[in-house]
Amino acid sequence: MTKHTRPATRRSVLKGLAAGSAVLATPGIIRATRAQSGPIRVGVISPLTGAWTVYGRAHLAGFELAVEEINAAGGVLGRQLEVVIGDSRTEPRIVVEQANRLIRQENVDFLAGTFSSAERNAAGPVVRSADKVLLYPTFYEGQEKEYYPGVCNPNIFMFGPEPTQQVWPHMEYMMNTYGKKFFMIGSDYAWPRVTNAVTKIKLAELGGEVLDEVYIPFNTPQYESVLRDIRSAGPDIIFHSLTGSDTVNFRQQLAAAGMKDDFVLWTVDDEEVVTSGLGPDVSENDYVSFDYFMSIDHPNNAAFLERFKAKNGEDALVNTVGVAMYNAAHMAAMALEEAGEVSTEALRTNLKGITFEDAPQGPVSMREIDNQAVLPSYLMKVRPGWTNVNDMFEKVQSFDAVEPLDARCDLPL
Amino acid sequence: MQTVVSVLFDVTLITMVLALAAFGLAIIYGLVGVINLGHGAMLTLGAYFTWAGIDAGLPFFIAVGVAGVGVGIVGIAFEHLVIRHFYDRPFDTLLLTWGFFLVSTEVVKIVFGTSFRNVTGPFPGAIDIGIYSLPAYRTFVAALSAAIIIATALVFFKTSLGIRIRALIQNREMASLLGLNIAATYKLVFAFGAFMAGLAGGLIAPMLSIDPYIGNVYLVRSFFVVIVGGVGQLLAGTLLGSFFIGGAETIIALFSSQVVAQAAVFFIAIVILRFRPLGLVGGR
Repeated sequence: MTKHTRPATRRSVLKGLAAGSAVLATPGIIRATRAQSGPIRVGVISPLTGAWTVYGRAHLAGFELAVEEINAAGGVLGRQLEVVIGDSRTEPRIVVEQANRLIRQENVDFLAGTFSSAERNAAGPVVRSADKVLLYPTFYEGQEKEYYPGVCNPNIFMFGPEPTQQVWPHMEYMMNTYGKKFFMIGSDYAWPRVTNAVTKIKLAELGGEVLDEVYIPFNTPQYESVLRDIRSAGPDIIFHSLTGSDTVNFRQQLAAAGMKDDFVLWTVDDEEVVTSGLGPDVSENDYVSFDYFMSIDHPNNAAFLERFKAKNGEDALVNTVGVAMYNAAHMAAMALEEAGEVSTEALRTNLKGITFEDAPQGPVSMREIDNQAVLPSYLMKVRPGWTNVNDMFEKVQSFDAVEPLDARCDLPL
Repeated sequence: MQTVVSVLFDVTLITMVLALAAFGLAIIYGLVGVINLGHGAMLTLGAYFTWAGIDAGLPFFIAVGVAGVGVGIVGIAFEHLVIRHFYDRPFDTLLLTWGFFLVSTEVVKIVFGTSFRNVTGPFPGAIDIGIYSLPAYRTFVAALSAAIIIATALVFFKTSLGIRIRALIQNREMASLLGLNIAATYKLVFAFGAFMAGLAGGLIAPMLSIDPYIGNVYLVRSFFVVIVGGVGQLLAGTLLGSFFIGGAETIIALFSSQVVAQAAVFFIAIVILRFRPLGLVGGR
């Protein structure tokens, strides 16, 4: 049986191609006309399920409060901010999927979030190739060129402290009070490793000594051998950068082994949320250092907490990460307002050098040279027998506006 | 000398705690052949039920007992509704029990939320015996684990109930022809395995942070314990398997890092299985 087809004439082919490309281009045309009106869309990537769900909640809550405040004050350039959420499920490879989805399908104007350094490093290549800004809130290990484009990326702005702000200011006090021998224990990935490397620089400067450096794979339930190593090494200070459930397991087992009487623990990971989970017996007398705590005594903080609790409940917890997201949202809004337009270039240029006076921990500015925020640094000690967040931490010392060391990248970014 | 003593204690404690965690799987997989990928979920449920019991005011051990019974009941329900149709098809049970894990994890997240929870053990602190400081609660759990495993083994080998179960495993058709109620016996064994897993989850809870994935830390290790020890060998298999998977890790960690120790243990397991495919004491 023969089929009767009309021959494909040049005219019909050209008509077909024109129609086809018009159909394919239509979404783009529609989007382009929308782009300069309608809401400004922000993609927030948060670990809302998986092992770090607890952090994801504070993360998102901080950002959403800021967005609510910005929108109530009229939005940015007359446009409202709209949050589009991507759940990273605590897995870096899902971060890549979510980042691509938010940028290409949801057409967000910029991104905020990712939580761990692993997640940020996964998002790095995506934001570089798609040329979108990422606002990163978490305390992290600092910018070293070898981890480009997760760091040293002109499109990524850091709103959390790095070790020269979180650790260095307090080393002298800790070493003078307790001694110079450090035992370092951390989870096995970029953040603890590089944080320890940077800490060791200052330690060497002050004449300290690292007895051992132990990295624990995620989800290790038993710490007998590590505890044994600590006992035989006999450090003055246990410098702790474990995270997730491993920090709870380790600290609980350390306390159960009766070792808290013999060793001092200084953690750069365990903020309010984790410490609440640990309970007073396990966490008492340990040292914690961050740029923000719920109990810091700054007039901005009192006002902020009132608004945060009004929205999220009296018992809601917020921490350094949630506050950094809050600051990031406000500073991005200010930058866009100043620029007069919404684009990656505008955001990137105007975030640099901006200062947010109303940040809960006091004024926060964004450095121009390496996209790092200048933050205060607090050293807190966990009070024995604390009952809730308000009496959990006792301030040991604090520094305002700690400038970090210049990032180890090709500067300026 | 100090190190030798501490290593000995550490190895014993780790071995016995792991044996307790794996015992529920040794029963379910070892005796009735169900590849229970939901074993971790049962441990998790045991931990959460214990937490809920304590939150409701029950003393610790009662809460643990209630948790065990609770998980046992969940096990019976699951067995009755789903598993009992699949005793002949072990690979299907793999999928079904994984589904159980997924569902129960989500239910836990909905009911209890996702934040870390804390259960305080009844014996905080350490016992000082001169040359070494033993974590009191962990030692207690290790001793309890030994008692439970030995008691179960005694029931298994020395009582008529044990004979009936062994008959069922050896030759199901013959046993049923001789008047054994197969369905009820399978149910009993499955429920007991689930009860054990729940009990283990509750007892281990004070040593770890409780989150919806707590049980899965022990899932893979439990499978290795059962397979390396020998499927069906409740007493010797579980204990030997736990020693190789748990205790060996802490010995190797003496000479190298955690990562290497954890990897080496699985490598050793593979080597053992290469030469004794039915497990160390399996095949009898």
